[in-house]
Amino acid sequence: MLPKFDILTDEQIDKIHNNSLKILQEIGVEFSYDPAIEVFKKHGQRVEGHRVFLDSDFVKKMVEKAPAQFTLHARNPEHNLICGGENIIYMPGYGAPFVYDADGGKRDATMADYDNFVKLAGASKNLHMTGGTVVEPTDVEDEIRHLKMAYSHIINSDKCFMGSSSGYEHAKDCIELTAVLHGGLDVIKEKPALICLVNSVTPLKYDDRMLGGLMAYAEAGQPMVIASLVMAGSTGPATLAGAMSLQNAEVLAGITLTQCINPGTPVVYGCTSALTDMSTGSLSIGNPENALFVSASAQFARFYGVPCRGGGGLSDAKTVDAQAGYESMMTLFAASSTGVNFVMHTAGILQYYMAMSYEKFMVDDEIAGMVLRYLKGFDCDSDEKMAYEVIEKVGPGGHFLTQKHTRKNFKTEFFRPALSDRQSFDSWSKDSLDTKQRAKLKWQEVLASYTPPELDPVIKEKVEAFIEKRSKELLK
Amino acid sequence: MNPIFEEIKDAIVDGDEDLAIELAEKVVEEKIDPVQAVQLGFIKGIEEVGAAWTNGEAFLPDVMMAADAMKAGMDVLEAVLAAGEGEGTYEDKGKIVLGTVEGDIHDIGKNIVGALLTSAGFKVYDIGIDQKAEDFVAKADEVGAKIIAASSLLTTTMKSQKVLVEYLDDQNLRDTYKVIIGGGPTSKKWGEDIGADGWAETADEAVALCKQLLE
Ligand code: B12
Repeated sequence: MLPKFDILTDEQIDKIHNNSLKILQEIGVEFSYDPAIEVFKKHGQRVEGHRVFLDSDFVKKMVEKAPAQFTLHARNPEHNLICGGENIIYMPGYGAPFVYDADGGKRDATMADYDNFVKLAGASKNLHMTGGTVVEPTDVEDEIRHLKMAYSHIINSDKCFMGSSSGYEHAKDCIELTAVLHGGLDVIKEKPALICLVNSVTPLKYDDRMLGGLMAYAEAGQPMVIASLVMAGSTGPATLAGAMSLQNAEVLAGITLTQCINPGTPVVYGCTSALTDMSTGSLSIGNPENALFVSASAQFARFYGVPCRGGGGLSDAKTVDAQAGYESMMTLFAASSTGVNFVMHTAGILQYYMAMSYEKFMVDDEIAGMVLRYLKGFDCDSDEKMAYEVIEKVGPGGHFLTQKHTRKNFKTEFFRPALSDRQSFDSWSKDSLDTKQRAKLKWQEVLASYTPPELDPVIKEKVEAFIEKRSKELLK
Repeated sequence: MNPIFEEIKDAIVDGDEDLAIELAEKVVEEKIDPVQAVQLGFIKGIEEVGAAWTNGEAFLPDVMMAADAMKAGMDVLEAVLAAGEGEGTYEDKGKIVLGTVEGDIHDIGKNIVGALLTSAGFKVYDIGIDQKAEDFVAKADEVGAKIIAASSLLTTTMKSQKVLVEYLDDQNLRDTYKVIIGGGPTSKKWGEDIGADGWAETADEAVALCKQLLE
């Protein structure tokens, strides 16, 4: 693995860190959820109404309790993942309400799209998890969406996945369902198996729904990503240092709450901060400033001793064009090379989180493969890798194509593109397919040949029974 | 021409809310013609900003701060204008109640829509986030609005826009107000499905839509 590089000096880290602590102590954070207020009061923090003023030493003490890394367990142990340290976890986009088709069409995302994206992630060599809310299945009633989504992850793949955090009840459902899959709540408390996303409401607020979710995961000892999305220029300051200080304060406040509820609960420091486009007000994510926020966050997470979430194949493009490609490569590359561990939105996102695209998914999968190869870096560990002997054997003026050493090593040393075209002009011009057209053929082929890994029929029955029972109760 | 009109115009262009209030207070105290202050000061200023916006020379903070300054200054003049002081009359282009629907707290887009409507000469009453159908209608009734504008950013709260239209139907008020909707996940089709009078994808289009509805 390549060493991860820092983008902030120690002095810059210090300045932003202290700015954040000052924000927490003097401006405070609003928590709308009463049980959270009770927790802070119990821990001796100053509370006025719903605003909590967090003491700097207290924050430092609580954040220290969070583990530096943890294992997330999959139903197939081969897909267990370590979140933290040098590791990196890729997964599909999260939360988009639309699907953009290859022909430029825009439509509401459905449950069928949901299953498809989970399968594509299940089939991918480069995506480690199937993610969560891979699209918003708008054809399913919201009361039971969380159950249908969790079922899709359970049945269509044996990789790790994410659960709902929208409110205490929905969060609990997903946790209990995962417990059914793994053999009980005590089992997953020992071996965490479900992770969720909790977002602050920038600037400086946490709302009921998210806090309900946070409490449920913390109580059950399940990990969560605590993230802040500062739109610099609108929901936060227009300077990078100011926006970063604000994001950092919010994330620290969230992590502090988790550690008050259940010390040692695994958490991930999350960053989705980006820019406001000052002509339209829309969020803009495919830019160097976003890459800087993400890289700085990775460094802050290292500073606090917790894993980091951020980045992805992020783009503002509306179709799979050059913009989609170069923006996504920049944001995924920056995240990956500066030490982000958990990359939501790795594949599929178009137009600042508003849409998923099947073609974009395949392009990002390719980008992910390229970046993963880059991260492996050079292997200088053996004589074989140093290749002195074969260089000697071939000598001046020869070639290496017919050497055993070549035949053996190129397969592991070279990244083999699944989508990129490396043919000659003549061969390519037979069909003249561009990336988007090739990506369309590719995902159709992958879906057609994918067989989901089998789920033990006894467990499957229990899972389905749980969903049926809860659905009835929720739809009453 | 009284030099204060030029000062008011500049205050609006600079987005200087405090100065706009101060100058408006001076207009009232010194019994300067308020209609002229509006036409040659406030409106001149906001038109200049609007033109720069259309040309891509002005950015959101320019427009939104100008709209805030205009609103603050106009509030000061409201009483004297209502009393009919000054040569001629000043009337806004129409009153609009704007808010984010119940269950939804996204407000950046709504705020931008509000600012651009204000700068286009409409009088905007922003009731904030997480608002019930009743709240939109109560405010519209109170201020005599012609348009109710509802923003929603979540697929799960879009149905509150439908509830708003249904509520108006139930109250036999459907013909009293035009309802327009918008926000990220909404669409023209959604607007049509729920029987809204209009939908717009961007704030600029929202302004055009309101102009067209009040023609
Ligand atoms: C910023 C943001 C937040 C901020 C909001 C801060 C604030 N003060 O508004 C915070 C962090 C609080 C937040 C919270 C949540 N968010 Co949010 N958020 C966004 C984000 C990134 C940008 C929204 C935005 O401000 N855009 C910029 C403005 C200018 O655009 P706009 O609102 O669309 O407005 C324009 C037009 O639509 C139109 N318009 C807007 N309103 C109106 C009204 C009328 C009448 C008209 C005519 C026109 C019109 O004009 C505007 C200017 O051109 C979007 C993704 C995105 N790219 O849009 C997600 C997004 C909307 N959020 C989402 C979600 C899921 C949530 C949360 C549930 C949690 C989460 N996972 O983040 C909570 C919900 C809280 C709640 N109860 O409402 C999802 C929604 C998916 C879905 N199911 O529909 C999105 C799409 C992100 C995603 N892919 O997951 N969010």
